[in-house]
This record gives sequence, C-alpha cells and structure tokens, in this order.
Amino acid sequence: MLKISFWLKRIAQLLIVLLLVTFGVSLLLRLIPVDLATVLLPVGTENERDILRAELGFDKGPIGYYLQWLGNFVQGDFGKIYFSGGTEDVSAHLADAMPRSLLLMAYTQVIAIAIAVPLGVVSAYRAGRRADKIISNTLFTLSSVPNFAIALLLVIFVGVKFAWLPTLGYVPLSDGVWEHLKHMIMPVISLSLGLIATYTRLLRADMIAALREDYVTMAASKGLSDQRILWRHVLRPSSLTLLTSAALSMGGLIGGAIVIESLFATYGVGFEVFAAIAGRQYVALQSTVAVIALFYVFFNLVVDIASGFVDPRTRDRRVNA
Amino acid sequence: MRKFTKPTWLAIGWLSLMMFFAIFGWVLPFKSWNFVYEDDLEVGLFSNGHILGTDSNGYDLLASIIAGTRMSIFIAIAAVGLGGLIGSVLGITAAYVRGKVDTVMVTIFNVGLSVPNLVLALALVSVLATNVDINQAVPTWRRVMVLIMSLTIVLIPILGRIARGATLSWTGREFVTAARSMGMRDRKIITKHIVPNVLPALIAVAFLAVGVVIIAEASLSILGVGIPDGASWGGMIARGRNDLEYAPHVLYVPIAFLALTVISTNHLGDVVRAQLDSREAKV
Repeated sequence: MLKISFWLKRIAQLLIVLLLVTFGVSLLLRLIPVDLATVLLPVGTENERDILRAELGFDKGPIGYYLQWLGNFVQGDFGKIYFSGGTEDVSAHLADAMPRSLLLMAYTQVIAIAIAVPLGVVSAYRAGRRADKIISNTLFTLSSVPNFAIALLLVIFVGVKFAWLPTLGYVPLSDGVWEHLKHMIMPVISLSLGLIATYTRLLRADMIAALREDYVTMAASKGLSDQRILWRHVLRPSSLTLLTSAALSMGGLIGGAIVIESLFATYGVGFEVFAAIAGRQYVALQSTVAVIALFYVFFNLVVDIASGFVDPRTRDRRVNA
Repeated sequence: MRKFTKPTWLAIGWLSLMMFFAIFGWVLPFKSWNFVYEDDLEVGLFSNGHILGTDSNGYDLLASIIAGTRMSIFIAIAAVGLGGLIGSVLGITAAYVRGKVDTVMVTIFNVGLSVPNLVLALALVSVLATNVDINQAVPTWRRVMVLIMSLTIVLIPILGRIARGATLSWTGREFVTAARSMGMRDRKIITKHIVPNVLPALIAVAFLAVGVVIIAEASLSILGVGIPDGASWGGMIARGRNDLEYAPHVLYVPIAFLALTVISTNHLGDVVRAQLDSREAKV
C-alpha cells in the first residue's frame, strides 16, 4: 500500500518539523539575557523563585527544560500566566480565545472564497476584456493595501464618522447572532480583501489554462452551455488551486489576525500572543506559538488530504513522485 | 528593453521619490520632524506652513513622513538585502549540492515556514529586544537593529526556498552538464551559469519582499514592539491612532505613503516576473 506509507512518511516529516519548531522557540527563550524566574515573579522571594525554577525546569539545561515543557504540553498543560495576585492557566485563556479566532478566520475564508469564485469565473470567461481588466486592477490595488490600513479606514468612516458599527470588542454567538456579526463585520472585511484578490487572481489564471484543455473543447462540441462548462468542468479542477492557496494563506491570516484582533480588541489567539509578549509571559508565549504552529501545520495536512479527493489526479501524481 | 506601461512608470516614479526622500531627506529644507509646533495643533491637510498638517502633539506631518520614509525604507532594504543574500546562498548551495545538505536545509526552511511570518517576527523581536535591566527602555537604534535582524531571519526561509526551486530548474539543463563535463569548477558553474539565471526570479520576489517587510514593520510598530515615537511609517500610524477620532488625516498621511509604496513594489515585482515568464517561454 503505497498510499498509506506515503501519508505516514508525510506525517512523520510534519512531526519532526513541529518538534524542531517548538525546540527552537524553547531555545530562543533560554537566550533571553534575563532571569526568567525574576521576570515571572518580580515581587516574590528568592525561595519562591527557586520553587518556580524547579517547577518549570529553568534549573535544567535547554534540552531538559524543553523535554519537561513538551511532556506537559502533550498532556494539555500549557503552563501558567503569572500575575502579582496569582496565576491563570494558559489553556483556559486559549480555550476562551480559540473559538474567537477560529470563527474570525472561518468567516474570512468563507467570505473571501464566496466572493473570489464568481469574480474569478467572470474574469477568466471575459479574459482581456473590460470586465476582467476592471476586476483584476481593482483587486491588485486592494491586495497591496495592508489589512491594518483597511481596518483603520473602516474604523474612521464606518465606526466613527457614520457610527454604523461598533469599533471594539467581541460578542459571543450565544449573546445574539446579530450583535455577534456586527462586531465581526469590520475585522472580517479587513482580513478578507487581500485574500479575495489572491484567490481571484489564482482562479483566473488557473481557469484560463483549463479553458484551453481538450476536454473543454470536447464539452463545447457536445453542445453544453458555457455556464455548465465553466462551473462544472473548469471550476472543479481549478478549485484545487484555490484550496491549496487557502491553506497557504492561513499563515498570513494568523499573522494579520494578531494586528486586527488587537485593533478591534476581539481577544483571540493572536491577541494572546501579543499580550504574552507585552506582559513578558514567556512560558505562555512558548505554548501559544506552539499551538499556532500545530494548528497551521495540521491545517496544511488536511488540505493536502482533501485535495486528493477534489482532484484524484494529484493522488497518483504524488504516489509516483 | 521593452516599453513600460503608464502604471509602471508611476510605480518607478513613486519609488524613486521615496528613495530620494530616504537618502536626501535630511539635507532638504524640511521642518524638523521632532519639533513641537505648540500653536499649530491638529492643523488639517494643505494648511499654510504645514502642507500635510500637524498631529495633536504639534508635530509637522510632512517632516515626520520624510523622516519615517528614511527609517521604513532603510529597514526594508536592509532586511531584504541581508535575507536575500543569506537565503540565496543557502538555497543555491542546497539545490546544487543536493543529498544530505539539501535535506537538512529544506527541513530548516520548513521549520521557519511552519510559524506564520508575523508570529515569528513578534517572537524574535520580543526576545532579542529584551534589556538585561528589564525596567530600562530599549534605545531606538537597538530596536532598529533587532527589527532588521528578526525580519532577515523571517525572510531567509522564504527567499531561500525560492532560490532553491529556481536553482533546481537550472542545474539539470544541458549547458550546466556541458560545463561540468568540460571540467569547470563547481564554484565557477554557480557564479557563471546558475546565479545569472536565478537572479531575475529573486529580483521579482525581492520587490514583493520589500512590500512584505514594510507591512511587517508597520504591524510590529502598531503592536508596540517596533519603532517607537512615530519615527517610521508604522510608528506614525501607531501614534496617529490617538488622533483617529478628531484628526484622522494624521492617519491618512502615513497610510497613503505606505500603501502607495507597497502597491508600487508589488506592481514592479509583477512586471519583472511577467518579463521573466515571457523570456522562459522563448527558451
């Protein structure tokens, strides 16, 4: 069974990458030229700090520390955030932040794909004509405008000048769907404009290439309508590119979400990274970055597997490669 | 030499202007960027004496943007230059030597790429910019160095992978085999045959990378770990957020400069790539 061994090998590769990433971050923390225990417990006694050092493994070498962190991490213990008044579990913070970020990204991807598909189909069908030029040029310009710029302009006009939408905060779905969506509209627009441009562009290029294939000529000579050829015969293989690109754009989206989440104060995972850095919560930072890398790598794997279902040709190509 | 279209000329013009500001801004008769005009707070765009207005602190925005241009462009060019150099050396070597070196290099690149750019940059900046005495502020020059270093590290796997891919597509060509069979040294093959062919692809990506770095620097500054005190475009945006409600032009100015610059670099990157594709098609 070539297929299973292929995926096992692929998963093993990803595991190695993940181990190296988390070890790298762990090593990075140990390079900080300050005593980590003092940073986490600025007002504690030396005795308390010694206990903390032993608890977190700061007294061990880099590898010993990493192994201890990893052992806790795989058991779901992501460490603690240290306050002057006590501690909070990082896992509790992430459990709170995760759904916010996942919803934000899901909305962004869905909106981006929902808008990019028709735009891509139209611009591929009318390639070189006026509609294509308008779509392509507008989107190219929009894609170069950074998401925080779009966010700030939205806040200035939609939020402050016309006061249509709230500019800060997050409302969970359980507190009312409309309120929830109202708080999500601006962050989602800020994040999705760039993606729409990327997706439309890729889809257009891919569909133009697909339109030249023999099976399209065949379908046309059978008398199928343009509509049917475009949506059924051309879009399906091209949607593979879209899927891959959606996976690749996830990294940029996570990074963009950090800025957008802090501009709109939605307190997602990106905001947790930012808060960990601002509050010098290095253990929390290490675990949160590890969670993000895990999520990112996992998402890419899922898309890899999914693309085999959308276009069976890639499965064979991979196995032969 | 192919004729450029009008947008391409505009992009070249804008970037030349930015380079001019970045290099000669300090000798031109602009106002001082950190002088406080106490009588002219929140003056609007195109006012007498302050063409781009002032912010609520009384800083002249034209002077600020010129100083910010120098900072942002310097960081971008330094990071892309360093990252491109190190990345292409690693990528070309890996693709040319193949074998174990290649496997190790690809793994390192994958490790770097498995953390989202901005998350990696944030983590690096926060660790590298930590003072031994944590109560003391980090001086701006050190922040600039740390930013350049972090963004360089972020860029190395991105550019390295592209250099590797481009090299792989050339090492199999006949003229490389021919050169090798004639006894040409590896180093000479790389410098004479590989680099000139890989360079155009790298230049196209370098333009895009400049845009990415400018945006990353601005994002980090907005998050409060980049350049403080409005000393770069991102720093100006971060500081301008306080004036968002009553003097939004304080934000329009740096956003416009930043967006126009990124649009220009992306457009030029596209033009270079299109020329490259048409050349490849002829080969």
